[in-house]
Amino acid sequence: MALPLTYNARNLVARKLSSTLTFLIVAFVVFVLSLLLSFVAGIRASLGATGSPRNIIVLKPGATAESTSLIPLDDLGPLIQTPGLALATPLTGTSAAAEAFATGRLRVGEPLLSQELAVQTMLPRRAGGAAANVAVRGVDDIAFALHADVRISAGRLFTPGALEVIVGAAAQARFAGLELGATVPLGRKGERAYKVVGVFTAGGGALESELWAPRTMIADSFHRRLASSVCLQVRDEAAVAPAVAYINGPSVGLEAKPELQYYRDLAEKTREIVVLTSVLVGIMGIGAAFAVATTMYAAVDSRRRELAMLRALGFARRSIVAALLVESLLLCLLASACGLAVSAASSGTRQDFLSDTTWTVLAYELRMTPGIVATALLVATAVSVAGTLAPALRAARLNIIVALRKA
Amino acid sequence: MSAADIELVDLHKHYRKGRIDIPALDGLSLTIDAGSFVAIMGPSGSGKSTLLHLIGGLDSADSGIIRVGEYRLDRMSERQLTAWRSRHVGFIFQMYHLVPVLTAAQNVELPLLLFRMPARERRKRVATALEVVGLADRMDHRPNQLSGGQEQRVAIARAIVTDPDVILADEPTGDLDARTSQEILQLLSLLNAEFGKTIVMVTHDPRAAAFGQRILHLDKGVLDRDERNPARPAAAAHAH
Ligand SMILES: Nc1ncnc2c1ncn2[C@@H]1O[C@H](COP(=O)(O)OP(=O)(O)O)[C@@H](O)[C@H]1O
Ligand SMILES: [Mg+2]
Repeated sequence: MALPLTYNARNLVARKLSSTLTFLIVAFVVFVLSLLLSFVAGIRASLGATGSPRNIIVLKPGATAESTSLIPLDDLGPLIQTPGLALATPLTGTSAAAEAFATGRLRVGEPLLSQELAVQTMLPRRAGGAAANVAVRGVDDIAFALHADVRISAGRLFTPGALEVIVGAAAQARFAGLELGATVPLGRKGERAYKVVGVFTAGGGALESELWAPRTMIADSFHRRLASSVCLQVRDEAAVAPAVAYINGPSVGLEAKPELQYYRDLAEKTREIVVLTSVLVGIMGIGAAFAVATTMYAAVDSRRRELAMLRALGFARRSIVAALLVESLLLCLLASACGLAVSAASSGTRQDFLSDTTWTVLAYELRMTPGIVATALLVATAVSVAGTLAPALRAARLNIIVALRKA
Repeated sequence: MSAADIELVDLHKHYRKGRIDIPALDGLSLTIDAGSFVAIMGPSGSGKSTLLHLIGGLDSADSGIIRVGEYRLDRMSERQLTAWRSRHVGFIFQMYHLVPVLTAAQNVELPLLLFRMPARERRKRVATALEVVGLADRMDHRPNQLSGGQEQRVAIARAIVTDPDVILADEPTGDLDARTSQEILQLLSLLNAEFGKTIVMVTHDPRAAAFGQRILHLDKGVLDRDERNPARPAAAAHAH
């Protein structure tokens, strides 16, 4: 039978300094690890919530993001011919598109093909006040029919041909000066004052980090006459592949990607950060295992006689190993609980992330998931076991008689 | 309430220190009656502790027979010896070897954790053992809150709580003053007389040895002298 937990707990308390140090190290590793995983989960959730399964994004060949793409006007004609291209059908509900239909700005039967002009501008952040890039999207009304999860949550839609802008809820939360009624300086030199007339949500997706304004106005303000991308919608998901093949083929010669995949690929860009940080966490984990080993070696060495006495009483080698493992697990799991608690406190908070692909700020929510908790506990357990193995072996091999001898 | 006799035949135990061969026990033979109190004396390095360790199953001999009650320790594996120790022997050491982070009661309870026994039964046994050694009122004290004599009493309670067949004590009074030593020795005599325990005690102090019914003298790993103590007639001669 095992030694009582009080035995382990009190021994940990008895070695205050070394226990505390190890506790802090393990807690820190778990904190960093869970925060990193929450970050990745948040980014993936944000980008994963973006896009419709029937949408296709068209870019210039070779471009990986809208920001580096230009679509020649000549190519729009062949795009209209895309097989399976859907036509607008009336939408009801609370979406911006439904509103546009209701007010006659969108008409049934229009081809669902949206030229979009993605530019960026520097705006001061709310936190810290430093300026950062925010994505500005110039769109026609048809864009709302393709991005049907866009909803006006406050104010109204912009008026075509007016210097008006609607701002994504996440962008409004991150940047200063985007309140309803405020004016935002947009344009190459920021020379045009756009009025904020509405706030929109987009199902928590990446579009919520953007500012949307009439495409013609943005083209004029930024001296950009060409669209950077075209978004089009096909009738059903089965039509996506042939449409992509057609656009990538010789008759159009552009680069088409299903919209879901486009955003998934953007999310994949976080992989480098993940790999880098994983290496860091791995190194820290090894360091933590060494800290555990040091603590447990000290525990074994300072308790040689006590452990030998337990063996003399009839406790088996494996009971001694188990006792040391329990002791180290107790310490490491308490430390992980602490590390997790600290990082959980920031779970759900909005953060932003400067994408190295689009060079604009993407807002996301840190997300602590059960999987992350499990992973962190697993890592802590691994650290604990790895660090305790060698000391426990030393304890198991202890020569009872030699250890019991008067020192 | 059980006791075991002990039979040792031609015991050899050598230690090797580099190239030097140290014969700790060099062909020792000996029998000890069940329920007797035997003192072992001898100069330092004569093999007293080694003998006790072999009787207690803490170590194995190079050759020879070790029988304690019905158990042939020389034929047991290390694993079997570990299990045997938990049921059949109680150790008392000069240095007490209490677990410093546990209370007196928890220290005494330790060997019972190796038994399938309900917590209530354990508590009862612990209380009885502490009562026997006169420390019922010190149950919740930590070792550092006890005097040396009290620590040794807790160690004795720990040694008897499993009701073992044999109690082995290695210089149990070596660290105690004369008065406290007497109390501890009286306690051991009581365990022998009242509970019929076989007790083998190593000591270098003649006053302590005087508590034994029989005094064995070791020298260079063999039995040198074997005296009956006329002051303490063997009470348990017919224990079986
Ligand atoms: N683990 C050991 N390694 C080497 N020599 C040992 C060991 N244990 C005991 N000895 C030697 O064996 C002899 C007997 O030791 P011990 O039984 O402890 O004697 P005593 O208890 O009578 O003083 C001594 O010479 C001692 O140095
Ligand atoms: Mg000795």
